[in-house]
Amino acid sequence: MDRFRGKLVLRYVLPAVLVILALMFGSAAFAADSNRVLKMRTSITLPSLDWEQTTTTINMKVWHQMFEGLYGMDEAHGGYYNELAKEVKISDDQLTYTITLIDGVTFQNGDPLKASDVVFSYNRARRNSRFNYLTSMIEDVKAVGDNTVEFKLNTPYSPIAHTFFCIKIASEREIAEQGDRYGTVPHKAGTGPYYVTEYNVATGLKMKAYEGYWRGAPAVKDVEYVVIGDEAAAVIAFQNHEIDYFEDVPMTDWDFVAGAAGGHSKLLKGNNIITFNINYLSPTNNKVLGNQKVREAIFYAINKADINMAACDGRGVEAYQYMPDDYVPTSPKEGFKIYDYNPEKAKELLAEAGYPDGVDVGTILTYGDVTAIKAVTAQVIQANLAEVGITAQVSVMETAVVTPRLYAQDYDLCIFSDYGNFDYNNIRQQVHSESTGMYVVRYRDDNSPFDWKRIEELVDLGVGTADVQKRLGHYTELWKIISDTATILPCVHYAVGVAWSNDLDIGDAVPTYYKIRNFKWL
Amino acid sequence: MYRYVVKRLLFLIPTILGVTFIIYLVMNITPGDPARALLGVSAPQADVDALNHELGYDRPFLEKYVNYVTKMFFEQDFGKSYFTKQSVFDEIWPRYIVTIKLALIGIVLSALIGIPPGILTAVKQYSLWDTIPSITAFFIAAIPAFVFGMLMLFFFSLRLNWLPSYGATSFAHYVMPTLTISIPPAAQIMRFTKSSMLEAIRQDYVRTARAKGAPERVVIWKHALMNALLPVITQIGLSLGVLICGAVVAEKLFSIPGIGSLIIDRILYKDEPIIIAGTILISICFTVVMLLVDLAYAFIDPRIKAKYTTGGGRE
Repeated sequence: MDRFRGKLVLRYVLPAVLVILALMFGSAAFAADSNRVLKMRTSITLPSLDWEQTTTTINMKVWHQMFEGLYGMDEAHGGYYNELAKEVKISDDQLTYTITLIDGVTFQNGDPLKASDVVFSYNRARRNSRFNYLTSMIEDVKAVGDNTVEFKLNTPYSPIAHTFFCIKIASEREIAEQGDRYGTVPHKAGTGPYYVTEYNVATGLKMKAYEGYWRGAPAVKDVEYVVIGDEAAAVIAFQNHEIDYFEDVPMTDWDFVAGAAGGHSKLLKGNNIITFNINYLSPTNNKVLGNQKVREAIFYAINKADINMAACDGRGVEAYQYMPDDYVPTSPKEGFKIYDYNPEKAKELLAEAGYPDGVDVGTILTYGDVTAIKAVTAQVIQANLAEVGITAQVSVMETAVVTPRLYAQDYDLCIFSDYGNFDYNNIRQQVHSESTGMYVVRYRDDNSPFDWKRIEELVDLGVGTADVQKRLGHYTELWKIISDTATILPCVHYAVGVAWSNDLDIGDAVPTYYKIRNFKWL
Repeated sequence: MYRYVVKRLLFLIPTILGVTFIIYLVMNITPGDPARALLGVSAPQADVDALNHELGYDRPFLEKYVNYVTKMFFEQDFGKSYFTKQSVFDEIWPRYIVTIKLALIGIVLSALIGIPPGILTAVKQYSLWDTIPSITAFFIAAIPAFVFGMLMLFFFSLRLNWLPSYGATSFAHYVMPTLTISIPPAAQIMRFTKSSMLEAIRQDYVRTARAKGAPERVVIWKHALMNALLPVITQIGLSLGVLICGAVVAEKLFSIPGIGSLIIDRILYKDEPIIIAGTILISICFTVVMLLVDLAYAFIDPRIKAKYTTGGGRE
């Protein structure tokens, strides 16, 4: 029997242990090569190297390292600045923008930037439905010589700066040469500080500094983006020094990550919003949500502090505005109805509406991960409503399944999120009937009790002037009307945590559009 | 034997047809469409409809299904991903290899970890050599794989800094993921081995072998274990099939670009070409694994081999 045991050890256990040890020692190589390469984490796959292939902010952050627009965005201090645009002239009727390009800019393939590339890039974007919300006001773009571009608008449009920021300029020649392969293989089509050297949809990409960059070559020469979907794995990877910059740190791990980063971390107010929306047209329970008092009762029953605590670990900011005025100067701060937590008032309103013993209001629908902010918000609201006698179910489903239902008003109540709004005109997506998608509450309807004409008029007035005070006035009236309808309740602006390596200087920490060209090793 | 293998391989065709049909049906009845997912919420409905038309998404269900199957069988064309515009095969194949690698290493580890203690516990029944491994296996079988993964990440990456926490670019990257997926099936294999061995060593032929004075080593290895292996191999085969489909836990936890995580990610975008092709590859692999299990029976058990070779078949 002893011989048998000895053979067992020799044949199975020992080789297994040796294999595992060999593999472990083999791992020494992985730690050595990360010294010079800046390791960035992206939580989702980058589907293409063509910046036009998605509007997902997470992907756009990566593309912003390769491509540049006519304008840049100074997220740390607010506002836009001229990037590839040297000079911008606006006609008196605000319908013509004449933009002179800065000198000495070259694409990563060495070609000089020309006006024709700008025209090409804008026309390409205009044909792409994804950018309809950014380009629909542009009637024509044409080159005036090699260095000047003229934009004709079909209406005065003050938020055009956001369009100039979002639409990136790419080399016409590079795209033509790559043909159908463009986006699927590395290219040098941008004017940005980095170009891609390796690209794998599954695992990420590698970038190199463009030494001919017009602002001067960036200090960090090699960058690698790795796809790490799981938040817990990302936290460990950061702690393990396998990634150097960690954005959107999960709030539940914030103390841990911030501790690991030493002083190299910052908690920022996010440019985002979680809203609770009511479909007043829902047929549920004999159209109970069509009752203004019921909707108000629901709003007064919601405790935003509970949501902040449960969904954001107490680090978010209870929201009253749709967009934080820290990022959007024309976002109304006052002059509209506020629904502060008041369960007694909720009960009174419910009784006045004819439901003194409570009422069922249907299902709170939301999407994404069941542990994510929206789902937790739905659960908190369900509990809040139960305290005043209102019952609701919670349903959390896949995004692809839920969002079409929201846009088709096929829901009772929903939790929605929005982020990356840098101009208040983005509210158009939520309140204007001509907007496509995100029009979750249908104010314009044959049975609408709301002044939808004035809502849409105010949206149009808001973009018709560049005067900040006038715009603020229009948007304040607009948000007052929306608040009075008791259909959209801003709940919380969740915090954005950023942490970075001890040997890295990132300049000003920002919640969204970081610039690796400003990073340097210490 | 040859006829049997060919027959089993031909069985792949109805399997693939069935799988594609079910997947197509499911994708067809779930709400949402790829164009909306691709173009975003702000794209006009007309453009969304046009793209759906271009992708062939608006065609009748049966037409889409027949087109897909025809292209797949006759042109070996799985189409292009709606999401990345890349060839489905080019996207899936490297990930498929990663998953197969993960599953194969995982199942080998499972067998290495599970079979020896299984034999030991059976041979040393009612001793501490039986009690301790049995309780441990019972305990391990009750713990989900991701818990092992998290524990290993914590100790080997975070605390000891021995192993990388994500990716699949070197052997070192495979250590924790393969252990993660191999430990729960190892516990099952151990229990299977034990019960199978217990049954075998009580058989008359084992008693006879002992009575004839055969050394204990020969009795255990040749007479008991060879006969006890049949159900264990079935279990290993099933576990391998489950690992190929279920390695997604490790793929997600360790950010490994495998087929399971790809399918899950693309479900969010209703990327049908990827979802369907990925599922087909998994089902083919599962069927092949089951075939190999059956062939392994013949290799181990001469009675089965004789049955095939004498033309008796399995009908």
